Formats: sequence, structure tokens, C-alpha cells
Amino acid sequence: MTSTAQELHPAPTLQPGRTILELNGLEKRYPGTHALKPVHLAFKAGEIHAIVGENGAGKSTLIKLLTGVMPRTSGEVIWEGQPVALATPHEAMALGINAVHQEVVLCRHLTVAANMFLGEEESRFGLLQQRAMVKDAQKIINGLGFDLPAHVVLGDLTIGQQQLIAAARATVRGTKFLIFDEPTAYLTRKEADQLFKLIRRLKGEGVTIIYISHRMEEVFELADRVSVLRDGTLVGTRNIAETNEPELVKLMINRSIEQIYHKEHFTPGAPIVETKNLSGKGFENVSVTVRAGEIVGLYGLIGAGRSEFVTTLYGRHKKSAGQILWQGKEVQVNSEHDAIRLGMALAPESRRDQGLCLNLPVGMNLNLPIYKRISSNLLISGAKEKTEADRQIADLRIKTPTRNALASSLSGGNQQKIVIGKWLAHGAKLFIFDEPTVGVDVGTKAEIYRLFSALLSKGAGIILISSYLPEVYELADTLHVFRRGKLVATHGFRTADHEDILTQALAEKQEKQGGQK
Amino acid sequence: MSTEAIAAERPKRNYNALFGLTLLALLVLLWVILSLATTSFASANNISNLLRQGSMIAILAVGQTFVIITGGIDLSVGAVVGFSTVIAAMLINAGVPVFVAILITLLVGVAIGLFHGFGIVKMGLPPFIITLATLTSLRGIGLLMTNGNSISINNDAFQEFSRNSFVGVPNLFWMVILVGIPAYIFLHHSRWGRYLFSVGSNAEASRLSGVNVQRTIYMAYTLSGLCAAFVGVLLASRIGIGNPTQAEGWELQAIASSVIGGTSLFGAVGSVHGPLLGAFILATINNGANLLNVNAFWQRIITGLLIIVIVYFDGLRRRGK
Repeated sequence: MTSTAQELHPAPTLQPGRTILELNGLEKRYPGTHALKPVHLAFKAGEIHAIVGENGAGKSTLIKLLTGVMPRTSGEVIWEGQPVALATPHEAMALGINAVHQEVVLCRHLTVAANMFLGEEESRFGLLQQRAMVKDAQKIINGLGFDLPAHVVLGDLTIGQQQLIAAARATVRGTKFLIFDEPTAYLTRKEADQLFKLIRRLKGEGVTIIYISHRMEEVFELADRVSVLRDGTLVGTRNIAETNEPELVKLMINRSIEQIYHKEHFTPGAPIVETKNLSGKGFENVSVTVRAGEIVGLYGLIGAGRSEFVTTLYGRHKKSAGQILWQGKEVQVNSEHDAIRLGMALAPESRRDQGLCLNLPVGMNLNLPIYKRISSNLLISGAKEKTEADRQIADLRIKTPTRNALASSLSGGNQQKIVIGKWLAHGAKLFIFDEPTVGVDVGTKAEIYRLFSALLSKGAGIILISSYLPEVYELADTLHVFRRGKLVATHGFRTADHEDILTQALAEKQEKQGGQK
Repeated sequence: MSTEAIAAERPKRNYNALFGLTLLALLVLLWVILSLATTSFASANNISNLLRQGSMIAILAVGQTFVIITGGIDLSVGAVVGFSTVIAAMLINAGVPVFVAILITLLVGVAIGLFHGFGIVKMGLPPFIITLATLTSLRGIGLLMTNGNSISINNDAFQEFSRNSFVGVPNLFWMVILVGIPAYIFLHHSRWGRYLFSVGSNAEASRLSGVNVQRTIYMAYTLSGLCAAFVGVLLASRIGIGNPTQAEGWELQAIASSVIGGTSLFGAVGSVHGPLLGAFILATINNGANLLNVNAFWQRIITGLLIIVIVYFDGLRRRGK
């Protein structure tokens, strides 16, 4: 059997505007947390409904309940007028509920076509119709207006392209209700535009879209309605035309920006590290100075070269040109080992992949950088190991039953405190924080910012990398803007406005504006 | 040794200790049942024999456990044992003093371990592959060196060692203690031991925390190679020959002992006492089955089933935690 793209898009039966899915007191409790308090919400067929909220507000829980990944604790879900159990992902898909996740959950080693038809392969006499599938997949992709080949291996595409394939895949499954979970986190602007086109087209076909995003501008660009979650509670639903960004932010965080961004100013001391025209893979000609007592913010889009710059500074990659000066003297940093010995500390971007030993105890994670110091010759001093770990847990206010609990049992925010906190006892002079507050709730964010102040007061310097402009804007004493591997602008504390900084970070936009001028 | 010395590990240790206890209980239970069911099991002669049988796998299992904790596997240990018997036999027959011959054999084991480390760290080969490669090639090299024949060792004192006892305990079992105590201190009380765990848990996080990951991997495989060469020396002493095809399948028994002893093949979980108990449980099953005249074919089936049952219950307990 061969299917055409047309057959793969069954026309939704519902009239736009009617309720397709209704949540009646939907609730989820985990042991110890109330992740989602009873939610009452009705989704209309053919609407784009944005859901916003801080990390930990309950968005992912809501998605997991709707896609059948987890069972709900109580409440009712009404699908097209009928109560449904949504007990398994299979049931949700059979109803026509699909999700496109932020991280692509597809098989990287299979071809694009194989991924598109995964689980619904075309076959004849038990043999796969590979060529037919590639052809059909290509037809679908072309039909969606994506310029991507169907026969290549998925892993060879960029993350953004893979995301588009994931979206395309969801649309061929007879989907009536499609959830996008922060789909643009890894997309370039061009790819994001393609995705938006796809989303609007699906809406035109009557598909209901739930769009989850941190980016307010996307919400206002796409959505018809927006719902706000805070601490597991649905705090409001608004028509997009009747609301504005400040109102949504206020609903989301319920406190003013000053309360979150705790900023103390210290008089900058001597330079701790200087780079002079440093170049390496992914960035070139970057000169940055970090002095004692100051936060240097690096802002830019993902892939702008900020992470590459700091990992090179940290000895992970070889520099191709330029100098690194440590407290005024030129140094060679050939490995992480060298960097740590000099007094640098790096809290990496990806907690799970790079920052933590999840299946080891909290205490061991905290002590990992300082085992040399707390052992005499070969043997570890048990007493020191214990007191160091306990002191850190108290200082950092890590919520854990004991230092012996496994790191995996802690919440994301507390895990992040370990990643950052393990360097405090190490006594480093320069701290590099790469996206330190991703996946962390507001309260923990505020605590992490307070930690920054504590470090600065002891004479340390901080490099803060963030893709979240308000964070670097409110915290950095010096703010460098990166674009495509180059340092394109430098500002002081709150000396430029958001619009200018964004313009400097987004190349395309600037070119467009330049053209108009 | 203060209990505080391993305080950071306490829940795991408690649990490990508990698991060790249940393993010990299982071992004792087996012994009690076998003593009642057979007349010969509880004899001094048989117990000595049992300890001898279990000792060599036990030492292999300790080395193997270091490797498994880092998330790797060492399939070569059986072949290293066989190869080491050849090296030891040739050196002793060539008139090299026994002490020197043993030392050289051990160094060969270290060299093989370093080669594994090199293959993994520098060539980027998966541990399974590099150690599988040495498994087959070492047997081949051994066969080339001996032309496929066994080499009889003509040194009575060397062979006496494995037969003798010291204060009533077979010398081979003393060797387990000789390896076990330093291994225990190393794994649970030194920072190198900690690094084995951290590398097995998350190599990237360890590297970013200043742990020398490459050196840690070299160390794990070197220790495993060293243990295997040591077992080779003991085996040469016990059977009195050098033969590269000896110790066939011992790597799997060592892995089984380690896993029965609570080591996780995913890395970052393991101990020294667990694998030791695991090895002696396996030895007891074989010994008991022999005494009960259980068909040798059945022995293998029972061993297989037992591995499944023990590891399954271990998994249940772990998830229950």
C-alpha cells in the first residue's frame, strides 16, 4: 500500500471553535510534591493555545498527563465529549494526541524516512517498502515546505532540522491535538519561521495546538489564547489580544524582578584572567578581562561561540591563536587539570551529562574536586569528608535527607546547587557558570544569585553565560554580546537597553534593520 | 579503621553490608544444607579443597570488579591466566629464580592491562572489543610459544606452595586475603577508589571536576591484568604445567561472581567483599553438586539459573530502596 500526503492528513471532524478537550479538575501528586493542582481548562478545536510558566510550574507534568506518559492522580479528561483514561501513550496517540518535545526523541541512526514511518512502516509480503517510504516521506516533507532530504540518516541533520522532522512526523499520524514543548529552544530563526508556518497551517486544517514556550514574543506571534501556570496552579487564561507581556510575567512569577535578581556591587580588584585575541574552534579574536569582584556576562544565541570560548579557556579545546593571562602572567592551559590547578571552576551547561554523578551520593559529588585535599597520601580522611559535605549542604541550603542520598533523588534546583556548590570548597578564583539557571525554579534562582554575591565578596570573579537576557542584564557588571563566534559589543551594567542587545545578538535582524536605514 | 572513614558512603555501605550479609547467609545456608545432605562435605579435606577451588576465581573477580565499576568489562582475564601459566613455566624451567619469575609474570599482566587502557583511552575502542581481541590473541600467542604443548614445571617447591596450608588454611586462600584487604582499602578508603566510582557514574562530570579520567581507566585495567597474572602464577603452581588453553571461560565466572556480589554492569556500584562471596558461592554450588553426584551438565544449568535469581532479587531490592 502506498499512502499519499493527502491521505495522511485526515480532515479533523470537528468544527473550529468547539471544545475538543476538556480538563476537569486534572491533578497530579508525587510523593512529597503536588505537581499539578486541580486544573479546569477547555481547549477549542483549531486554536493555538500557549502555556507559559516558570520551570517547575507544572507544564511538563501537564504534557505527561495529556500524552499518557504518566497516570493522573484525580480529575477527568473529556475528549470530544467522552471521558477518556489516557493511561498509555498508545491510547493518547490513537485518539490523535501527539507531542513534539524540546529534545528530539527519534532514532538518530535511522533515516529520516524510517523515522517518519516508525511503527507504521509500509510493507508488502512482510518486506519493507523502503523506496516507497522514502518517496512518501519526501512528498510529506516537501508538502510542508521544508527543504530536507528524506533518505539521509537523521543524526546527520542539525538539531533544528531534526526538530522539524519530529514535527512533520507528528502531523502524519492523524493528529488532532498537537503539543509543542519549547520547540524553538535549539532552532535558528529561519528554522523557527518554517516551524511557525507549519503550525499555522495545521491550525488552518483544524488541528488544536498547545504551544509551550519561554519566549514571550513567540507566544504573542502565534497564540490565540494563553494560560499561565505557577507552582502547579492554573492562575489564568487570557485571549492574546486582551493581555500583554507585563501582565503575563506578573502572573507567572508573582513577584517583581528586583526580588529575584539580587545584585550587590563590589569595587573591582585586579584582573584575574585576561584573554587577548583568543581564537579557537567556534570563536575568534575574543578579548575579555575578568577582575576580582565582578560578573562578566556573555550573551548570545545558542551556537554563538560563548560555550566554545569558555571551554577553550578551561583547557578543554586547543586555542588556535591568542593569549591567556592569569593574574597578569601568560599561561598555557592544556587540560581541565591545568585550569583547575590555576584556580578556575566550571559549572557546565548540561547538569545530567556533564555536571553530576547521578547515581552517587550527594556528599561524594560535593567532595569530588577536593578529594586530594581531604586525603592524606592515599587514604581519605573520613572525618573531613563528612564535615566538608555537611558544611556545604548547610551553606548551600541543599534540600536532601542526608549527604548519603543519591544525587538523582534531588530536585533539579538542588542538583544545580551541587554542581555550583562543589567548587566553593575548592577555593577557586574564577567561576564560569554556563546557563546556571536552566530548569531551575524562581526560588532557587534567587538563591543561586545570592551565591554569586557570596563568591564575589570573597574576591572571586565570575563569567556568566546565559541565553536569557534579563539574567545577564540584571547581574553582569560587564556584558559582552557574541554573534557567530565574534564578540560584537560590550556594555556596562544596565547601560544598553534590551532592544539594542537583542539586535546585536541577532545577526539577521540587524542586517534587515541596517538595510532599512 | 574508623567507621567514619567511609561515612559518605553509608547508606550504600549499609545496604552493601546488608547485601553482603544476605550473601554470607546464603553461603552459610548452602554449607549447612550440604553438611547435612552429604557425609563428605564437612570434612576438613573437602573444605580445604573448596577454598582452593574458589580462591582463584575470587581474585579474578576483584580485579574484574574494579573494571566493571568504571563501566567497562575485561573479557581477557581467563586468557591472561592461561598465558601467565606459560610465562611462569618457561621462566622457571629456564632456571630463573622463582621469585623473579613471578615478578616478571606479574609485570606481563600489568603490561596487558596497560595495553587495554591504551586501546580504550587512546584508540577509542570499546572495552568489550579490546579485551575480546586480547582474549583470542593471547591464547594464540601462548600456543605459538608452546607449539600447542603443555610445559611441565620442574620445580617441586613452586608446586608445593599451592598444596600446602598455613595454620590449617590453604595457602591459596591466604592469597585471597592478601589481595582482598589492600583491594578493600583501595576501593573504599582511597581517593583512587572514589574516582573509579565517579568515572563509572559520569566520566564527563568527573573530568570537569579535575579527575584524571584516562589515568583512572588505565589503573582499573592494569589492576585487573595484575590480578589475572597473579592467578596465572597460582594456577601454574597448582597444576604444575604451563598451558595457554587453561582457565577457559574463567572470565565469565569472574564476571558472574562480581555480579552476584552486587556489582552493577552499568558501573558505579560495587564492592570488594561482594565478589569474593560471589566466587565462593559459585564454588560451593559446584563442589556440592559434585558430592551429590549431580550431572555435570545440570551443574551448569543450575549455575545459570542461580545467577538470574540472585541478580533479579538484587534488582528488586535496589528498586525498592
